[in-house]
Amino acid sequence: MGESLFLMIVGMVTVFTVLCLVVVLGNVIIRFVNRFLPEEVVAAKPSASAAPAIDPKVYSAICSAVSTVTGGKGSVVDVKKL
Amino acid sequence: MFDGLFEKLYEMTAVGAFVENPGYLLMLLISFVLLYLGIVKKYEPLLLIPIGFGVLLANLPGADLGIVAGDKIELGLDDEGRMMYMNLFEIAHEYGILNFLYYALIKTGLLPPLIFMGVGAMTDFGPMLRNLKLALFGGAAQFGIFAVLLIAMASGAFTIKEAASLAIIGGADGPTAIFTTIKLAPHLLGPIAIAAYSYMALVPVIIPLVVKLTCSEKELKINMKQQDKLFPPKYTIKNLRAVKIIFPIVLGTIVIILVPSAGPLLGMLLLGNLLKEIGSDTQRLTTAATDYIMNPATIILGLCVGATMTADVFLNLKTIGIVVGGFFAFALSIASGVMLVKLFNLFAKKKINPLCGATGLSAVPMASRVANEISTKYDPQNHVLQYCMSSNVSGVIGSAVAAGVLITFLG
Repeated sequence: MGESLFLMIVGMVTVFTVLCLVVVLGNVIIRFVNRFLPEEVVAAKPSASAAPAIDPKVYSAICSAVSTVTGGKGSVVDVKKL
Repeated sequence: MFDGLFEKLYEMTAVGAFVENPGYLLMLLISFVLLYLGIVKKYEPLLLIPIGFGVLLANLPGADLGIVAGDKIELGLDDEGRMMYMNLFEIAHEYGILNFLYYALIKTGLLPPLIFMGVGAMTDFGPMLRNLKLALFGGAAQFGIFAVLLIAMASGAFTIKEAASLAIIGGADGPTAIFTTIKLAPHLLGPIAIAAYSYMALVPVIIPLVVKLTCSEKELKINMKQQDKLFPPKYTIKNLRAVKIIFPIVLGTIVIILVPSAGPLLGMLLLGNLLKEIGSDTQRLTTAATDYIMNPATIILGLCVGATMTADVFLNLKTIGIVVGGFFAFALSIASGVMLVKLFNLFAKKKINPLCGATGLSAVPMASRVANEISTKYDPQNHVLQYCMSSNVSGVIGSAVAAGVLITFLG
């Protein structure tokens, strides 16, 4: 029993240490990349010309739907009637 | 001329063996159940079908396709007191082709890391990198492993190596469970692999059950996206691809220095992931890892693991203990993740949906999908999949590290 208790303490401490490292390293890498290797930002905001072509309410509904479906990653660049 | 004809025919067939040892019949029945679960119920078919067929082959008396115990290939001590073993040719000649495959590819611990490389090549660290804090909840879920280790030892039915192999089922990671068992208690490989994969297939049942017992409706309605809007992250990732390429290299270097015994699993997982993230330049290697290496490895692993389950090895009280203990390991892992989230929510302004803790149990990505189904049942707008994937993926790392700790101290 003593050995298994020892293993539990050592194991949980090690697991949390490693996952804390994952968090810390992840943050460090993200900051490093943001500073030294930022990707060219493609115009992600809706252009001024795109919005007036469509009802603002419909446009905002599309933006909201895209944001929900893509988990906040996607953005609407242009909306055209086909 | 025909004297004793029927007696000779009886001796030629394996019917006599079934009469002498009805355990064979029971094992055949178990193999049929496993095949049924895999083929009809579609429970982890990629694993349960080869395993079920391995059980079938191993329990056909006279065919000699069952895996023999390790002491059968021992040749005694040499002059320096080291154990000598049969070479692979002798094993193949003496015990057949399945034993050759088992001792060459499984007992050496080769296949689980190769499968992990394929798993890595199919894993996306993106959700975890976007929600790094949630990765910590993948650690809490490993508590189930160590809690069951304690319980199994307290029961007195298992040695500490056997208890550790049983407990690692709570990691909800087939290759990790198999790798650990090969190192610590290879004689329990069959039942442990079966329990691990069966419970992984039952994740859609076990997670909702534990969540129902531990979470309130209000907690399950916590909307992570709204919380993100209320408390936005400090910064965004400007070049996710570069982060994803650097991450496995740096993480692998540091973690394997800290826990070297997790190296075979974690190293291969991160290699597979790196190949995938590099993209078109390593596309062929990624395809090799996910298809040409992983698929045959899975067939051979499943078949050989099934073939270890002969009647003599499988039909005993320890198997029942493994089945029961494995369930508790799973359930405790889920509950531990949920409890840590609840504890966190007591003190934090930015609340977290407890489902993000429940998915700390690996079983990627099924656990996250199940969690998302639960959350959308309470609020159709509340999609937690991306958030759950963070603790889900970190759970894979956590269980590999837990396995490394067990192997280091007990191996």
